[in-house]
Amino acid sequence: MTQTVSRRDFLKLGAAAAGALAIGQMLPPKVAHAAREAGLLNADGDGYVHSMCEMCVWRCGLIAKVKDGRVVKLDGNPEHPHSRGNLCPRGQSGLMNTYDPDRVLTPLIRAGKRGEGLFRKASWDEALDLVASNMLSIKKKYGPEAMIFSSTHNLSQPQFENLLYAFGSPNYGTQRSLCFNAMITAFSLTYGVEEPSRKYDDVKFILMVGRNMMEAISTSETGELSRAIDRGAKLVYLDPRFTKTAAKATEWIPIRPGTDSAFLLAMIQVITKYELADCEFVKKYVVGCDDLPREMSKYTPEWAEKITGVPAATIDRIAREYAAAKHNAMAHPGWRTSNFINSFQTERAIATLNAISGNVLTPGGCLSAEIAAESDGALGKPPQPPYPRVSALRLDGAPWKYPLVPLKLGVFQELRDAIITGEPYQAHGWFISRQNPIMSLPDRAKTLEAFGKMDFIATVDIIMNDTAWFSDVVLPEASYLERYDPLLPVGDKAFIRQPVIEPQGEAKSALWIYKQLGERLGLGDYFQYEDEEDYIRQQLKPLGVSLEEVKKKGYAEMPTEETDGEITFNTPSGKIEVYSETLKNAGFSPWPTWEEPPAPGENEFYLLTGKVAQHSQFGTQNNQLLHKYSDEPRLWMNAKTAANMELNDGDWVEIASQAGKVHSKLLATEAIRPDCVYMTPGYGHLSKGLKTAYGIGASDSAVHVTYTDPISGGQALSQTFVTVKKA
Amino acid sequence: MTDIKHHAFLFDATRCIDCRACMVACSVENNIAMDKTRIWVAGIGVKGEYPDLQRGTMVYHCMHCDHPDCMSACPVGAYSKREDGPVEYNPDLCIGCRYCMNACPFGVPHFDYDKGIIDGAFIDKCTFCPQRIDNGQEPACVQTCPTDALVYGDREELVKEAHARIAAHPDRYIDHVYGEKENGGTSYLVISHIPFNELGLPVLPETPVNAVSEKVMEVTIPFALSWGAVLTGVAAGVHLYNQKKEEKATAKEEAEAIK
Repeated sequence: MTQTVSRRDFLKLGAAAAGALAIGQMLPPKVAHAAREAGLLNADGDGYVHSMCEMCVWRCGLIAKVKDGRVVKLDGNPEHPHSRGNLCPRGQSGLMNTYDPDRVLTPLIRAGKRGEGLFRKASWDEALDLVASNMLSIKKKYGPEAMIFSSTHNLSQPQFENLLYAFGSPNYGTQRSLCFNAMITAFSLTYGVEEPSRKYDDVKFILMVGRNMMEAISTSETGELSRAIDRGAKLVYLDPRFTKTAAKATEWIPIRPGTDSAFLLAMIQVITKYELADCEFVKKYVVGCDDLPREMSKYTPEWAEKITGVPAATIDRIAREYAAAKHNAMAHPGWRTSNFINSFQTERAIATLNAISGNVLTPGGCLSAEIAAESDGALGKPPQPPYPRVSALRLDGAPWKYPLVPLKLGVFQELRDAIITGEPYQAHGWFISRQNPIMSLPDRAKTLEAFGKMDFIATVDIIMNDTAWFSDVVLPEASYLERYDPLLPVGDKAFIRQPVIEPQGEAKSALWIYKQLGERLGLGDYFQYEDEEDYIRQQLKPLGVSLEEVKKKGYAEMPTEETDGEITFNTPSGKIEVYSETLKNAGFSPWPTWEEPPAPGENEFYLLTGKVAQHSQFGTQNNQLLHKYSDEPRLWMNAKTAANMELNDGDWVEIASQAGKVHSKLLATEAIRPDCVYMTPGYGHLSKGLKTAYGIGASDSAVHVTYTDPISGGQALSQTFVTVKKA
Repeated sequence: MTDIKHHAFLFDATRCIDCRACMVACSVENNIAMDKTRIWVAGIGVKGEYPDLQRGTMVYHCMHCDHPDCMSACPVGAYSKREDGPVEYNPDLCIGCRYCMNACPFGVPHFDYDKGIIDGAFIDKCTFCPQRIDNGQEPACVQTCPTDALVYGDREELVKEAHARIAAHPDRYIDHVYGEKENGGTSYLVISHIPFNELGLPVLPETPVNAVSEKVMEVTIPFALSWGAVLTGVAAGVHLYNQKKEEKATAKEEAEAIK
């Protein structure tokens, strides 16, 4: 599929949207009823409300300034550990998501062909009845497994999963295999912890493998890293691109893509061979410490130099510097680690480097086996009956094809082959909430083909995203500034998201939508809450805190768990498993190991992807403020390579892979390896309902080829090779 | 409300990650139109040849000069300088002459070509968020900065802080605090790892530009009057000369006619 891109004139947009911030003024101001009752807003609708950001999954605490019932400014909440008074550009622009002129504000039912964009307005009753009747008829004809449910990480996800499990389908699609499967499976297998938390207070040496922290911003952690560098901590950063993180690093190593694990294995080889780690202490807690030097012996820096292109002396020096920093060294686990089919091994090597530095075991160490992710164990939840037994296979192959992939992560990209081939059975319906698989999954043509096989598709979103554009029913969700969500525990506090303004139009919270749908599906017993406030009251019950207090303060204190000081890990051995019996039993290497990934052919480039600070994946390009302050998305190519190919900066080029072709403007830059090109993800939208984003940039998903890591199930997003020529 | 005697910013280019949170925060706080901005990114960006690269960017807005050229140039007194730092602009007085745009050495004031005199404000620039600083809050751009590249405080303290950072890491910074003395001192101070001209900052003398211009302005009228007198004299002389020349020519013609 070919796509032509034309960036709209900035001023033209400006003129069309001049004063668009004031767009809310055109709508009748609705003072948030609950916030007013709680005394947060006065009778005129002026005041400040504590809530939580949703521009990415870091979920900073925010304080919204409300004037005349309109939200006019968001500031970071100084009391929230994720914001500490700051917000990133996305967080600052959040109110423009709410006041986006392209918001979907009533339920919509498709009135033309799929993808034509013709919809008619409908009442909630009509739309919900239609969704429920379609889901029930699919269940009756083909069984519950013929319905696919998919949703991307969000606070109402427990109730989305509730709907899925109560309905009885095993088919659950999350964004996780397009993101952090490699990191989570590797750390779960090694430490028994999904994502260890990072501590920067005493860090002296940080190794980051493609973790572009200065552009993929996690507000508090980005600040902590910046302050650590400022104090004089050394940052060694591996990335084929000179990103804004590379610019802040003490040392930037433009390593050959796909070879990170060779670099890391050689570091382990140096540290273990020369006994640079404090092994006496570490041995007590690490399985495999004794045999590690023997297993790593073949991975010498000289061996790694041939693979990575990094001089052996550099690898040797960095290994020694890392070891010298002992438990004040941190090999950062990364985040979106879906790069190559060997990314799981990269993460295993990172986990091992941390284990042998003792940073997880020693007090003051920079990595902690405490679960960084949210744990809502101390909170209450509505009562519900047990879920029905599910016997059907999952269409994404977990775990019958991918034995080590946790079910809640899944292998999203593999769903489509099963849908297209009808093997092992045919899926017929897809219920999607807050997710845009048409943009996020690799090989967009394949996703559209799979959509074509569906009898029925319903999407819940706040705007007409590309997936909603191809759906039969669109259910309008209230934006994060308009609704309640379940409480989110962070550290020793559970934070609230509450309406800062009343929902515009007919928009409703996901908690309301799932309950209404559940009742229509005959699953009302699984949704035993009156409304959103009742849900949160049930969550708060064990804490003995009132909702009113939480609304004012923004959070509830949680009991802190006492630990006995004894270190145990949630693995079969109770220790850190650098050697993993589980991996061995599944037929994989029990040791961190080198797996050669494919390399581009002649005249081909590695197609890299990666974030910019102004956007979150595929969901923010229509935000006018972010559009205003982000760079024009172009294809990065090394300036000398471009000159050799007689391509000039600003030329239109065609980027082609075996999955598709797109057109983009070229950025000739020194800031990338000569054998790579880079595209900013999230552009090239198909939905004409996104009036700001439509027509801007090209879609990397349209050219990405689907490759799945057999161990973690992660999609290898940097393993697509492309040719580039003048368009 | 605050104990700050002279409100000021300190921008540290080594800490800025060019995320643009400050720009969005400013736009929202001050309800700036979608095609306008009060904060800009400047600087050379990526410098060098692969793989020996460096990056230098800066965000800047009104420098809130101690001797504002915009104020000197403004013929209607639309600009004023608060004793505690901020340079204020009064849209009700502005006649849209754009002298301030030419006068500002940093290119800060921007003209709104879409607005007429009835719609108000022709010129737009950073206000120092008086609605925030006068209520004990940080300016919007500073408050949101995730890496503390922008900090806010009393100018004297920030000048000290800037020098302390340079002294602590002489290998990291250029030994100069831009704005401490430039143009007679600004309330936006900059420290950097790359030369200031590469951040887009002009090389300016310590003597404020307007100190010179104002001195010149002081003698303008006497100068004009005396120059007028001189010109009048010259004109009178020329007239006299021409008159004589004409008389001579007439005499010559007459003489030729006689021949």
